[in-house]
Amino acid sequence: MKKLFAFCFLLFAFCLLAQRANAIEPNQTKIDKTIDLVASIAAKLKLVEKRGIIGVVTDVADTKITLSDLNLNTRFVDVDEFTKFSSPSAKEGYGISDIKKGSKLGILGLYNKQSRRILARFVDVVVIPKMVEGAVLQKDEGEFTITIVSEDKSQTVVDIEKITKTSFYDKKGGLLRSGFSKIEKGERIIAIGFPNINKNSMIASRIIHFPSIPKNPRIRLDLEKTTPAISTGSGKKLTPITR
Amino acid sequence: MKTEKIVLSFIAVVIGLAVAGAAFYLYQTTKTIPESQTRTPSLVLTPTPKPYSSIFLTVESPKDEEVFDKKTITITGKTEKDAIIIISTNTNDEVITPALNGNFSTTTTIENGQNQIAIIAVSLSGEEKKIVKTVTFSTEEF
Repeated sequence: MKKLFAFCFLLFAFCLLAQRANAIEPNQTKIDKTIDLVASIAAKLKLVEKRGIIGVVTDVADTKITLSDLNLNTRFVDVDEFTKFSSPSAKEGYGISDIKKGSKLGILGLYNKQSRRILARFVDVVVIPKMVEGAVLQKDEGEFTITIVSEDKSQTVVDIEKITKTSFYDKKGGLLRSGFSKIEKGERIIAIGFPNINKNSMIASRIIHFPSIPKNPRIRLDLEKTTPAISTGSGKKLTPITR
Repeated sequence: MKTEKIVLSFIAVVIGLAVAGAAFYLYQTTKTIPESQTRTPSLVLTPTPKPYSSIFLTVESPKDEEVFDKKTITITGKTEKDAIIIISTNTNDEVITPALNGNFSTTTTIENGQNQIAIIAVSLSGEEKKIVKTVTFSTEEF
């Protein structure tokens, strides 16, 4: 009989233990749920961040601006009553109705990673200098212009003005002061400036040329074609084969 | 009496197994595995290299479209050890050389509003790689 009592006691103890083990599980679930909730709130907090972009306007509506950014990606910008607009050329108030296609805008606002849209807080018309890099194709000493050919084979005429700061790169000395006369044909060059709409060229504000660094091998200059023929010494000149 | 002993023994074994099972279950649920011992399948995405560019350039900071509340920012990245790096902002230019491991770092000043920073790495052969970042200086709170 004592053994039966002992057995019943053991069974009761086991049942209690099993019940306790089951009771832990709901608590664990609650903890997991709380962790998930905190994680989702944290994710929502990081869903929106401050961002600033530059783009060219491709479309304007009442509260929406569509831009093409530097990487030619389409960007959607929303504006609301808190958005402030400005333009350096505007004398009076400037608003979304004054924005035209082709304008270059700087947008500062809140970027939503989920919707990939920017809620603009500041919309400004910006003037960002243009950079042209390549090799010097031509040099006009009368007009003080140089023609730069780029990797994409496009040619840009660059006006050198008094305001133009010209430098050259030396491996030992770094960036040193230079001038128009020191720029040579075929040299690697970078010009930074603003478009001269009247002349269909660019007014350079800064120029850096690199005499000690070879030009980009992907840039083909036509200088080779104009190279004088080599003399054999017998009066007959060798002419390069052109295909 | 003999039958009672056998039944009790059998029940005792069952209970013992059950208790052992419960203890093992509890141990397993409370056990934490260190992260170093866990293996998660990872998909390594490597960008497809452009066939025509042999020089590499990565810019770690600043991030594209980043907003700063200070005018002096740090530009860091990595390229070939023999390359030169040209950094050009809206207002100034700088030419630097990387360390022996190819890492480079410099500081530059940005203007109010949006700025474009062009980072160009040029190799000894003349090949180049260009990365342009847009950064904004603003102290506005929104």
